[in-house]
Amino acid sequence: MAEARTRLNWSRLGIYAVLVAGVIVAIGPFLWMISASFMTLSEVNLTRLLPEKLLWENYATALRRANFLDIELITDPASGRLQALSVSGYIWNSARITLITVSGSLLVCIPAAYAFARMRFLGRDFLFALFLSTMMIPGIVLLIPHLLTVIWLGRLSESLLGPAGAWFNNWPALTIPFFASVFNIFLLRQFFLQIPDDLWEAARIDGAGHLRFLISVVLPLSKAPIMTIVTLGFIGSWNALMWPLLVTINDEWRPIAVGLANFVTADTPGDLNLQMAASVITVIPILVLYFVAQKQFTEGIAQTGIRG
Amino acid sequence: MPSFSLAALFQRSRRGRLLQENLTAYAFLAPAGILIFLFGIFPVAFAFFVSLHRWRRFPDAYIGLQNYEKALGNLGYILFFWLALGGLIAAAAASRRLLRALQQTEYKKGALAMLAGGAGGYVALLAIDWFFKLVPAIMLIPRQVRGQNTSLPLFMEKLGESFSQPAVQAAGALLPGALLALALLLWLSLWRFRSGGSAALVSYSAVATVMLIASLFLLQLTITETEAALAEARASGEALPIWSQLVFISGGIALIGIAYRIFQRGIRALDNRRFALMLLGGLALAVGGYLLMAEAPAALAAADDDLLHGFWVTLMYAAGTVPVQLAIGLLLAYLLFQPIRYRGFFRMVYFIPYITPFVATSIVFRIIFDAGRSAPANRLLAIAGIAPQRWILERNSIGELLGLPDFLAGPALALVVIMIYSTWTYIGYDAVIFLAGLGNIPGELYEAARIDGANGWRIFRHITLPLLSPTVFFLSLVAIIGTFQAFTQIWILRTGAVGSKVNTASVYIFDELQNSNRYGYASSMAFVLFALILLMTIFQNRVLGRRVFYG
Repeated sequence: MAEARTRLNWSRLGIYAVLVAGVIVAIGPFLWMISASFMTLSEVNLTRLLPEKLLWENYATALRRANFLDIELITDPASGRLQALSVSGYIWNSARITLITVSGSLLVCIPAAYAFARMRFLGRDFLFALFLSTMMIPGIVLLIPHLLTVIWLGRLSESLLGPAGAWFNNWPALTIPFFASVFNIFLLRQFFLQIPDDLWEAARIDGAGHLRFLISVVLPLSKAPIMTIVTLGFIGSWNALMWPLLVTINDEWRPIAVGLANFVTADTPGDLNLQMAASVITVIPILVLYFVAQKQFTEGIAQTGIRG
Repeated sequence: MPSFSLAALFQRSRRGRLLQENLTAYAFLAPAGILIFLFGIFPVAFAFFVSLHRWRRFPDAYIGLQNYEKALGNLGYILFFWLALGGLIAAAAASRRLLRALQQTEYKKGALAMLAGGAGGYVALLAIDWFFKLVPAIMLIPRQVRGQNTSLPLFMEKLGESFSQPAVQAAGALLPGALLALALLLWLSLWRFRSGGSAALVSYSAVATVMLIASLFLLQLTITETEAALAEARASGEALPIWSQLVFISGGIALIGIAYRIFQRGIRALDNRRFALMLLGGLALAVGGYLLMAEAPAALAAADDDLLHGFWVTLMYAAGTVPVQLAIGLLLAYLLFQPIRYRGFFRMVYFIPYITPFVATSIVFRIIFDAGRSAPANRLLAIAGIAPQRWILERNSIGELLGLPDFLAGPALALVVIMIYSTWTYIGYDAVIFLAGLGNIPGELYEAARIDGANGWRIFRHITLPLLSPTVFFLSLVAIIGTFQAFTQIWILRTGAVGSKVNTASVYIFDELQNSNRYGYASSMAFVLFALILLMTIFQNRVLGRRVFYG
């Protein structure tokens, strides 16, 4: 009996050893990234594990040099009162892009998913199969048609609305193609299907139509899938690189991934400590979101197996 | 007096309510439908259209399959024969499904629905034809109105001009009448004389029609283009053995497929027959393999070397990352599944590399695997007593560095760094999905096995692994498609020193697009990649999918 227990402990110990080694490999690079972001350049070049002194000013320099965030207070010269606040930089751009993409996506996908899940109409299964089949088209095939479409639609809307209506190098090119996400529609539909029919019967007897039912019954029940969509959408927009590289030509709307990539590739070999600080800044919002909404992340991805 | 509103009118009859439900649903669906059409369905046809042209930012001449010839040499034409053939087979399968559905419906109503679906497919193709006649002129509008004061009247004027071209008008002449007839047929079949299976019949029939006509069109296009290429070669006195290559390469692949089937049979057969079958299978394999080895290089002789290299890099990349990441992911998931403490913590930590922005983590790896003597990776090597390496700056392959012969060269060391990075990011993802799969295996099975006296490894081998095979299958599919899509990590981790040694096919295509603006050529290569992914998915489903054990 005692022997069995010691053997058990040994195998336990082995398991923990492997798991801990995994932890070191998984977050070692992060820890060093954070540590290096506080170092002097020569400390990074010598691969010190820890900085001698925490150089917080690396972050200020990185924010400025990489053009991450620039907040300007415009004051009235006469009275000294605050007149306007001008915010610019890649973080601000990415925040705007993410907000527009995620809210647009919810507005477009929720009704569509509801229609597929809870309404009967001609061609429903056909349309759903058609929508799903678009998920297997690789992104690189879509790149050129998207570019051409965006340029064309942009010119049309420019002639309607003037320069503000441009799509290229402006928010529409960066957000509108991602509004109708088949993945989101699929995720929401699966959830809406589980809502009991009794609720709909009751609502209908009370005189509610589909829109009413969707807004006042279905949506309040669907916080979990909506949170999943918001978190995955956030990661998707925050990380996007290939498409924004193609449709932005200056910093007015260029998102953070492109900004960081440009900062690093233009700055070779460069100030590695600043590169690390800029990377940490890029990672922080995602990590915060991850720790807050961890359940949605892991479960959303485990359920559906697809990253946003 | 009853209130007279449109809604009340609808509510009065059953059909009115049905109509209202339909209209509401379409209204709900409209925004998503329009966007998915614009950015999901239409782009595929559009990309194909672009690939048939010389196209640098703006459309130029129609050049048929020449872009594909430039990418793949003669294999480009052969690929299109296969595509057309595949389309015909799919059309046949769709027709069979259609006939089976027809047998289950009332004969006359079924025939009507079939007719309506066929008309629908035909009209859709007519509309596509008309639209793509229009596209070249439309695509020039942005350039024409640029610089001028872009106003709506000017834009509309240009649009009107494109619509009134003779070719466009000729293609669109039939369209209004055809649409009207289609509407009538749809009304008759889905409303007036509706039966249970009508809607399904209409969609099956439409799909079959579209597939049939599209693959016939593809076949005709391929034959014309092949003939044109042959005529050109003849005029300049060269031999262009496309036909013989088509026959031999297709034959070679077919023989290998047959050999696989024979082996499958042979394994199950009895002794004597087994020997004969194995011999036959070996023969088929040898002949097929010989044909492929002999003909494929010649067919690919004129191909774009950079693209072929891109496919080779993608292949090495997949072979070096997918098995490793799946194995480690499974190991971690299996350990996490044991009764241990802090499971939630471990799971959370393993997932971090996967969710953090690839750009940022790639930059860390750029520094860790720097060529400098004091870079972290070289410091670790120094501890182990190994000479420092140039890592992301190393264009020599690992085989060369280890002094192995040429055919064992393998990937460049720079690519190995990208593979390590890629594995590092995806392990956590694989582990989380494996963990979910492990949780789905019923506990009684383990108990039963334990009562039967099975130990840890045997339980894993005979219970866990077979029941986990759907997860393994899914993850390997996702991972392989992921290697085709990989971009960010290569974009950041590649250096000027390694040149194109780390460019996967996707990255090469993107370069071609962004630096050279060759839209037509890039589209054709993207399409080849698409065809490859599609083929691989079908292969995986057919061959490996059969071995998957679904509970």
